[in-house]
Amino acid sequence: MLILMIVFTFYPLINAFVISFYKDYLPLANDGAGSITGYTFANYSVILKNQLFWQSLKNTFVLALVSVPVSILISLFISVALKSIPKLKGFFQTVFFLPYVTNGIAVGMAFAVMFHRDYGLFNLILGWFNISPIDWIGGTASWWAQMGALMIFTIWESLAFKILVFTSGLQNIDKQYYDAAKIDHATKWTIFKRITVPLLSPLILYISITSMIGALKAYNSVIGLFGEKLGGQPYSMITIVAFVYKYRSDFSFQGFYSYAASAAIILFFITLIFSLIQTTVSKKRIHY
Amino acid sequence: MAEIFVKNEKSYKAKKILSNVLTYSFLGVIALIVLVPFYWMILTSLKSTEMIEAIPPILFIKPSDWQIWNYKALFELVQSGPRAGQPLFPFFTYMKNTIIVSIITTAGTTITTILAAFAFARLNFKGRDTVFAIIIATMMIPGEIFILTNFLTINKFGWYDLMNQTFSDALLAMTIPFMTSVFYTFYLRQTFKQIPNELYYAAKVDGTTDFKYLLKIMIPVAMPTIVTIIILNSMGAWSAYIWPAMVTTKDQYRLVSNGLRGAFTDSGSGRTDYGQQMASAALVTAPLLVVFFVFRKQIMRGVSRSGIKG
Amino acid sequence: MEIKMLDLTKIFISKDKREVHAVDHVDLTIPSGKLIGLLGPSGCGKSTTLYLIAGLLRQNVGQIYFGEDEVSDMPPEKRGIGLVFQNYALYPHMTVRENILFPLENLKVDKVEAKERTIEMANLVGLGEMLDRKPKELSGGQQQRVAIARALVKKPRVLLLDEPLSNLDARLRLQTREEIKRIQRETGITTVFVTHDQEEAMSISDEIVVMKDGVIQQMGEPQHVYDHPQNLFVAQFLGTPQINVFNGVIKNKKIFVNDMLISKTDLPDQPVKIGVRPEGFIVDLEKKSDFKFEIDLVETIGRDTTLIIEVPGNEGGLLDKITFKAIVDASLKIKAGDWVHFNVKPEKMHLFDLEGKLLK
Repeated sequence: MLILMIVFTFYPLINAFVISFYKDYLPLANDGAGSITGYTFANYSVILKNQLFWQSLKNTFVLALVSVPVSILISLFISVALKSIPKLKGFFQTVFFLPYVTNGIAVGMAFAVMFHRDYGLFNLILGWFNISPIDWIGGTASWWAQMGALMIFTIWESLAFKILVFTSGLQNIDKQYYDAAKIDHATKWTIFKRITVPLLSPLILYISITSMIGALKAYNSVIGLFGEKLGGQPYSMITIVAFVYKYRSDFSFQGFYSYAASAAIILFFITLIFSLIQTTVSKKRIHY
Repeated sequence: MAEIFVKNEKSYKAKKILSNVLTYSFLGVIALIVLVPFYWMILTSLKSTEMIEAIPPILFIKPSDWQIWNYKALFELVQSGPRAGQPLFPFFTYMKNTIIVSIITTAGTTITTILAAFAFARLNFKGRDTVFAIIIATMMIPGEIFILTNFLTINKFGWYDLMNQTFSDALLAMTIPFMTSVFYTFYLRQTFKQIPNELYYAAKVDGTTDFKYLLKIMIPVAMPTIVTIIILNSMGAWSAYIWPAMVTTKDQYRLVSNGLRGAFTDSGSGRTDYGQQMASAALVTAPLLVVFFVFRKQIMRGVSRSGIKG
Repeated sequence: MEIKMLDLTKIFISKDKREVHAVDHVDLTIPSGKLIGLLGPSGCGKSTTLYLIAGLLRQNVGQIYFGEDEVSDMPPEKRGIGLVFQNYALYPHMTVRENILFPLENLKVDKVEAKERTIEMANLVGLGEMLDRKPKELSGGQQQRVAIARALVKKPRVLLLDEPLSNLDARLRLQTREEIKRIQRETGITTVFVTHDQEEAMSISDEIVVMKDGVIQQMGEPQHVYDHPQNLFVAQFLGTPQINVFNGVIKNKKIFVNDMLISKTDLPDQPVKIGVRPEGFIVDLEKKSDFKFEIDLVETIGRDTTLIIEVPGNEGGLLDKITFKAIVDASLKIKAGDWVHFNVKPEKMHLFDLEGKLLK
């Protein structure tokens, strides 16, 4: 186990740093030994000048910053609602968990069909409200429409896990707090705001960190929804991870592998910073 | 004294019923939203091209109008062009590959996880907690970082050969890097830790070796957790997309997820056969759902206890 | 505020699908402004009764009135009660101040007034200095008082306490029960508290209600109930050490235990259970009494001596094997092995029939 971990986890972590500083790297040259012509910081400046990289940053950030809080909020509401009903709890729990166990790409493709401009369900429903059809994911789709579609799919996918975790978290809250709050004349909304959320805050923090990391790594959802084209127009929905993979797969071009490594390292630091911010912010608000 | 209290309210019951109705409708709507993509997947897979392209979209089709053809086509259609004669969507090949990969990784992961969890939970060696903390910290790191080097490593081991990759090379490449799991190690260690120390000492007094103790006491006690790990891990192979695509050189070595995307778009016209595409998606989704419904309790308990993601 | 319960019944379905009458046709009136102890062994229905009054549980049958108001169908927040939970249920993420303020915020009490009332309440329970602490920074006794303050700050009609002292250590328990008594007296609020500890109930209640199997056994002032138990259960439940129970018989207006004459009575001939409080024995120095035993063990604490007597089962006799205790004056210097003759104080002796009902 340790050997495997060293070979496939620790060594790669360090090596990714090293690669990101290689100059003119050709990984498979010399019978797989790879060839370089020195060390450089230039890989970082190259990708920082790359339009596509900024596109991927923007897409990833918007997706993560919107979908994570929204899905946390929705799943909290659902979990609280689930807790309050006397019957059918198991049924709903099972249904809500389904997205977790399905193949993201298969369902992403189903979403792609639903988002189809002419034959899709979404535009049909919009039509009921007299809203003219939107091109969500096609070649003429606006950036916002594509991002909207991606967000809807991402949130749909990520609810399952959160609902399950919050539901079991809610079960661990002593019922007496709710009895006490009831006697203290708290309304349902007050109970949610002042009792449930604070008491669940360690779990919410944990979930928000892990799902933030997950969202920053978005890739499969883009593939599922848009295919290898990564967007309605090529690369319009590219994410950081997709950027990494794009340059990785072009490893036969001099230095491209290092660009991929640099982008991966940047992603690593972004993730780190997000986790640190969330931890420090929350430490101020979680007191018990 | 009691000036602040409202008199008995007859409407209390009505209010309660109303709030119940609202809660149930809310949950019902969400359940519908969760289920609709599955429904749409199956619905589309049963539509003919004309039905798919109907405007407004058809929301329901009678069983007599079901187009089973889409499913049949998956197994019968063959490619034209450079790979003439090969199936368009070699479903069974992908399925077979996926199952093999899933069995190998799961077996490997389970064994390494048990040994590692045992070491971290029970054995005392120098720096144990430091090593464990470092390993836990790696959970926070995006996996994409590892993939870059792992690809090179696989290449160095000779498992990735553009010209002459054999199926067993591809298998090794697809499985070996994933034979450890920090998540599961952490999860199983927690379970192991709950087993009282006294049992271990009692076994030691009786002269049991560590290994025998692990085999005879810890594994049986932790069996529910291990079963959960096995189920969740084997389901993981179903969703694996990027790595198998990266380290395999031939289509017929790939896994179901890889096969799904990309197929069914006619390279000439750029048109997608949604019916067949959804049929294949449904075929890939079905086994997962079957496994889920069989092991529903273990899966849901396991996921909620360990907080494992992905 | 007087609390009246009429025919109150609560049925739970147990795991093996049996109906359990946790509270069984209870008729009870709790007088206004008094401190009432609901007392009984665990599972007797006392907590259920409290939760029914609070409205956290709903009765299957019966009504509850607060004064003239029927509250039977009201949700808890409409009843105007303050409830102190067994483990206090203080919101762990809120300070003492926020905890006490919480009900007032919900009732939309004017902010300035709410602040004043919070401080006033904190002072009443003696926690004026601790307003900005979190519950976990307080001792058990202090948490308990915060819970009381939170219950009282909204000026409820009734204060309910569920096992208020059970989570405290022995020293704090004594202190806190005086505190509860003081707070109740100062506010004059009708207060019901639940306990399984008879000493606790006896020491602070104006009246106690003894329950068993969902049925009220007896209600009254603690000393009165102690001196005049209605049945064997009440007699046995109150008092430490427990009352001694002998199997005896009445023959020709005389009470016998194993042919030993104990006392006289006007009751007709019948087998009886004779309860004698440990302090109800008088040592007969002239050794004339028929009621004599060999002492097995002597424990002297202060001015009292407890004589412990093990009586072996007597074949064919009426006395079961029992251990009984008699508390006598330490100055008598009785030693283990001595034979002691006893007389019984009539007011400390209670006669019950074989079902445990008091014989009069």
